[in-house]
Amino acid sequence: MTQATFNRALRPLALASLAAALLCATSAKAEERPIVIGGSVSITGALAVDAAYHLHGLQQGIEDANAQGGWLGRKIELKYYDDKSDAGTAVRLYTKLITEDNVDLVIGPYSSGITQAVAPLINKYEKVMIEPEASVPDIYVPGNLWNVQGIAPSLGYLEGVLPLAKSHGAKTVAVLALKSAFSLACDKARLEQVKALDMSLVYDTTYALPQPDFSSLALAIKNAQPDVVVVCSYYPDAVGIAQALQRAGYAPKFFAEAIGPAEDEFTKALGPIANRIISNTSWWASLKTAGNAAFIAHYKATFHQDPDYHAASGYGAIQALGAALNAVKAIDQAKLHDWLLHNEVQTVQGTFANDPNGAAKKFNQYLFQIQDGTRKLIWPLADAEAPAQIPYTGQ
Amino acid sequence: MLVLQILINGLLLGGMYILLAQGLNLVFGVMGVVNLAHGAIITVAGLFTFWFATHTQLNPLVLLPVVFVAMLAIGALLQRSLLEPLAGVGRKSELLSLMITFGLSYVLVEIGLDVFGSQYVSLPNLQTTWSLGGLTINEALVAAGVLGAAISGALQIWLRHTDSGKCLLATSQNRIGAVACGIDVSRMRCIAFAIGSSLAAAAGVLIIMVIPLAAQTADSLTILAFVVVALGGLGDYRGAALAAVVLGIAQSAVGYYGGGDAESVVPYLLFILFMILRPQGLGRAVQAQ
Repeated sequence: MTQATFNRALRPLALASLAAALLCATSAKAEERPIVIGGSVSITGALAVDAAYHLHGLQQGIEDANAQGGWLGRKIELKYYDDKSDAGTAVRLYTKLITEDNVDLVIGPYSSGITQAVAPLINKYEKVMIEPEASVPDIYVPGNLWNVQGIAPSLGYLEGVLPLAKSHGAKTVAVLALKSAFSLACDKARLEQVKALDMSLVYDTTYALPQPDFSSLALAIKNAQPDVVVVCSYYPDAVGIAQALQRAGYAPKFFAEAIGPAEDEFTKALGPIANRIISNTSWWASLKTAGNAAFIAHYKATFHQDPDYHAASGYGAIQALGAALNAVKAIDQAKLHDWLLHNEVQTVQGTFANDPNGAAKKFNQYLFQIQDGTRKLIWPLADAEAPAQIPYTGQ
Repeated sequence: MLVLQILINGLLLGGMYILLAQGLNLVFGVMGVVNLAHGAIITVAGLFTFWFATHTQLNPLVLLPVVFVAMLAIGALLQRSLLEPLAGVGRKSELLSLMITFGLSYVLVEIGLDVFGSQYVSLPNLQTTWSLGGLTINEALVAAGVLGAAISGALQIWLRHTDSGKCLLATSQNRIGAVACGIDVSRMRCIAFAIGSSLAAAAGVLIIMVIPLAAQTADSLTILAFVVVALGGLGDYRGAALAAVVLGIAQSAVGYYGGGDAESVVPYLLFILFMILRPQGLGRAVQAQ
């Protein structure tokens, strides 16, 4: 065999080797590509204060998952845009994330209202979406197949306030609610609870943001003299109503606001007025849930603030998504969805378990109270760190 | 007693509205331009006040004269650099000025977002509530309402009883006549925008103690201020003050008896009604009678 013949015989072999090497290199490169989770976050707008904790929770969850080797041997990345607390903007952003950015997975936005707007899109593109901040039950219905709730349902927000108040002799109640999907669901549940507990509803109203002045509502509350004031709020109106009640010179025996008091910004804005306000949480630092101590330590180190339940919901959603991926071992939307509906995951905010419609069924609700600048768990009594301080003084 | 409390609440709210609207009205009166950056100036000044008060632990009212004077200079600079070059383009200048203030509003909001963040903030200062014979009056609302009315009163005195003020008023009433009288109209435009900006900034310093503000609340403040100005009669200073008080009382009464949703629509419902029935505004309607 001449050298030329030998070379000709080897050429196909060399080409095949080269092709195989290229294929392997490409394949290795594909495996190294990070898993991208896409979502919109309310970085600006009325929901920005609460949504910042949600974002931090997601970021911390991804950082911790990456520190443990990522998912399916790949790193995880979060790709997010600012939805400006606007549902229409969020719909446009999720369309972009799914169709242009081609993200591997999607995660829910902040708030029930924005999630409601995004839900049909998720169904259209058949993307499983854990929703760590959408508490209203209306989303988790047979028509919304791909939505999986990652937070305690809104019907349970402030659920403990009226029984607690009644046990202390309270009889009359005022209920206020922001006109938003979450707040109205919370409002409806509390109004039904007033009837069920045979308490007397002496004032009931809804309002919309931006509302520059709550003084007339506060005056109406003062005139009605309720023992309990329950506000199904977000952060800005929670601050505004507390200020207005103080300006009207009225302090009900029990004063509870749904969303807002969990954030440090709330006590900074209100000062002593915040003392003894009661609020709701589905997570607490003292709970012995899966990975809670590490979550708190890492979160504080990264963001230099205490986490709240929005952060825990975001973190828990990443824990659940990671468990599903590691079990299914592929980014297969249908299999991930099926796994999430038929399995339980222990997360920082408790047991992540959902019914066939995707509604969360095992998260607990708690009440905390701001007591001299610190937040103490006060309900249920079995988990309480301190007894409720009564009455609310407004100063 | 209840009616009196509603009236007091309405008057104090009206005082805040006067503060919101007077600067916008002054700029419109002299320049014929709705300053769409008005709410952004209020908001950025309010956020700056929050930052200052939380970092220095000083009373935010200390900032009031400082911010007022600083905004005089900044307002004059903005007018000279952005708006005055448009004065020579004829009838298009008002539309172009509107577009420039629209752009300026976005720039200021973005600066506010970058520097102060997006969260709603409020100062817990002046939260004492006084009880007087069954009536309750809050210190922050009184401070905002009284200072708002005082600043507005000072503006009125300046406009009607000083030579420079009369020149400005004359310019707002009839520009061609003002030129014929030898008034430097260009200078008047600069003064009007500078004072309008200062009034907006003063409103921001006071309002941060009354309602939570965030950079993105700028637009809603501009709209509210515009509604007050339109109700009073565009460019009518006393009319705007009257409209602010009427609006404050109407909102307080409707909010008390009708709830939060009803209160929210009061400004816009009144606005539509006035545009149909009294487009000249409340001030001129009262003067006509």
